[in-house]
Amino acid sequence: MVPWVLVGAVVGYGLVRVFVGHPTPPAGLGRLGRGEAAFVAAAADALYPPGGAVPPSGCEAGIPGYVDRYLDRVPPQTRGLMRALFFLMQHATLFFPAPGPTGFRRFSSLDHDQRVAVLSGWATSRFFPRRFAFTSLRAVLTMGYFADPEVLRRLGLAPYAFETPVCEADLLYPPIGSPPEAIAHRPEDVSRPSAPPPPLDLDGPLHPDYREPAGARP
Amino acid sequence: MSAAGSGEVRVFAQYDRDFTEQADVVVVGSGPCGSVVAKELACAGRDVVLLEEGPPFTPADFVLDGATSMARTMREGGLRATRGTVMPTMQAIALGGGSLVNSAICARAPDFVLDDWCERFSLEATTRRDLDPHYDAVEKFLGIAPTPDAVQGQRNLLFRDGCDALGWSSEPIARNVRGCRGSGECFTGCRARAKQSMDVSYVPAAIRAGARVLTSLQVQRVLSDGRRVTGVEGQVVAPFRGSPSHRFRVDARCVVLAAGCMATPVILQKSDDLANGSGQVGENLQFHPGVSIMGVFPDPVSPQFGATQGYQSLQFIRDGFKLETLWAPPGVLATRLPGFGHALKHTLAEIPRAAVWDAIASTHRSLGRVRARRGSMDPALTWHLHPEDVPILRHALAVIAEIFFAAGAEKIVPGVHGLPEVMHDRDEARVLGSGSYGGKALTFASTHAFCTTRMHGDPRQGVVDELGRSHDVENLYITDTGTYPRCTSVNPMFTGMALAHRTALHLAERL
Ligand SMILES: Cc1cc2nc3c(=O)[nH]c(=O)nc-3n(C[C@H](O)[C@H](O)[C@H](O)COP(=O)(O)OP(=O)(O)OC[C@H]3O[C@@H](n4cnc5c(N)ncnc54)[C@H](O)[C@@H]3O)c2cc1C
Ligand code: SF4
Repeated sequence: MVPWVLVGAVVGYGLVRVFVGHPTPPAGLGRLGRGEAAFVAAAADALYPPGGAVPPSGCEAGIPGYVDRYLDRVPPQTRGLMRALFFLMQHATLFFPAPGPTGFRRFSSLDHDQRVAVLSGWATSRFFPRRFAFTSLRAVLTMGYFADPEVLRRLGLAPYAFETPVCEADLLYPPIGSPPEAIAHRPEDVSRPSAPPPPLDLDGPLHPDYREPAGARP
Repeated sequence: MSAAGSGEVRVFAQYDRDFTEQADVVVVGSGPCGSVVAKELACAGRDVVLLEEGPPFTPADFVLDGATSMARTMREGGLRATRGTVMPTMQAIALGGGSLVNSAICARAPDFVLDDWCERFSLEATTRRDLDPHYDAVEKFLGIAPTPDAVQGQRNLLFRDGCDALGWSSEPIARNVRGCRGSGECFTGCRARAKQSMDVSYVPAAIRAGARVLTSLQVQRVLSDGRRVTGVEGQVVAPFRGSPSHRFRVDARCVVLAAGCMATPVILQKSDDLANGSGQVGENLQFHPGVSIMGVFPDPVSPQFGATQGYQSLQFIRDGFKLETLWAPPGVLATRLPGFGHALKHTLAEIPRAAVWDAIASTHRSLGRVRARRGSMDPALTWHLHPEDVPILRHALAVIAEIFFAAGAEKIVPGVHGLPEVMHDRDEARVLGSGSYGGKALTFASTHAFCTTRMHGDPRQGVVDELGRSHDVENLYITDTGTYPRCTSVNPMFTGMALAHRTALHLAERL
């Protein structure tokens, strides 16, 4: 009897450590569960803390929301692998603790320095699969960071606006998901430039999606 | 021969029931190879149906964010990778195939490559003299020309300067573009409508000549009566999600598979292992693994301006690698930058002063295979980087580092595990060429894949002959980069189109 109680207590404790007590995730996330959202937010701010050469932090740049939308777009098998990766990295510190007396906690419950220490452990591991897991995580978070127009503007790398000429193909294809009636162009719209168009103007306006919004953060 | 049909394109929103079509020729896949075949055969008056699993993209469908764009235009959301040696590899799913997202580099296979193909694979008519007329025809149609200086931008011209300083050859890259503005956005689709990807060039020409282009159709099987093929069948799939709806069949006198090096073998394997008397379907998978380095210069480079890949060097082509300049959405390039927190942010802030240059390697000893998976048309890929090919990649990295420092870079970020994250001069970078690290320390990826349905003069050793004709099934043809007997050592698209052009002329005569 006593051993079973002990086993039950250990299993119960394990389940609580893994599944319970995550902070409430930001509203509007569809794919990421509580634990996943907590992990992604913690990892995002460990990789991209607030301030420094590019001010927005990972969370300010909207990485958790980005990852959530990204999971929605990738094929189910890839989604499953990414979720497994988040789960693994979130809970690995329950078996291989982070430095310090409070290191035996899941990743999102660690403090900033502990998170950085854990991630650098993955990044520099001699064990290739562990390094690869980190590289995959970093890739997703970094692409999320760069999806923030503010980040690109701060770096001076935001795309420019320029006119898209109409070509013969634009008379053939409707926008994806629409029927042929949605083709907006007619033969007379086709551009027939007499000279090559000028190179991109680096002093020109930014693409509308990347312009500074009114009331932008300082 | 039946009369050519009246050209049209059909999109996902138009399918409301199961259907059957008839044609002289059904071409599967609208990438560079399939589109050339479709256009040439339609122009020769044949009734052509071109099938494509992806949708046509209009400029309104392009997304500038790199990862979102990849999830929309690439197979498996852009996250496809080999097992064995883990290497990311990308194949497009779109009308136009890889040409929609590629950098438009058009390179003829070097003489030594074609000689090697002929000698090792018992080919008789794949010499420079045989292929040049086909390269010429494609070149003329697409307006392929060297990238002009006006749209090179600093990050391409610095590469030229570095090569000049070292006395190494370099030249502007020839590309299939008309009126390039140097936006560096080839990877997410050309908003300037300058890139002559297949969807804006060969496909419209095929439609004009009468071809029916049916998109969002996934071919699952080639139909055959044992000795001859009779058509293909498959399902309508929704753009991006791939969810199936109606069934379709196309009956044809001839089937041309051009679904790409990864998909064509899967279709054959799912068709009761069709055309595999040689046992070579899905075997011999080769890549050009690519390695790259970011170099930081003292002054602004404004790397967002310039043709995506504008300059190259063939100086080391016989040593096994080709050098090129590179640009991609910053978020994609930054995925490999080292460090954490403020140090990482500091490195990001240096991107406006940076350039990225890469090398694609001919790793002939590194082989893999493609296998069909149950319940999916996505391939299971295995590939192994051979230890004897690793020195090629190390040499390439050492050479790129040399060019950066010769061009005036103040530091480089080589991205090799176990070596310093940043190197400041030639002496420090010397370790890149040394044998002090193995393949697992390297970060590489490849968008060039070959050989899974290779051509060979001997039917026991190859799937098709030089014309792309199956050795086993007389009215089945394959024309995509899977038919290369070995890698091209240069960017593969142009050679695939030249070979496809030759196949099309042959078929036009035969049908
Ligand atoms: C990002 C990127 C950059 C590149 N840059 C260059 C470059 O600058 N120069 C160069 O030479 N090469 C480049 N390449 C490689 C080049 O694009 C490919 O080698 C080339 O596209 C191969 O042509 P293909 O016709 O063999 O196959 P693909 O281009 O892959 O076309 C195959 C087509 O078949 C379709 N298809 C697959 N399965 C099915 C099915 N079951 N049913 C229906 N349709 C199907 C696919 O959706 C696809 O459209 C690049 C590739 C990528 C991904
Ligand atoms: S560099 Fe820009 S303008 Fe030129 S072909 Fe590529 S996407 Fe088009």
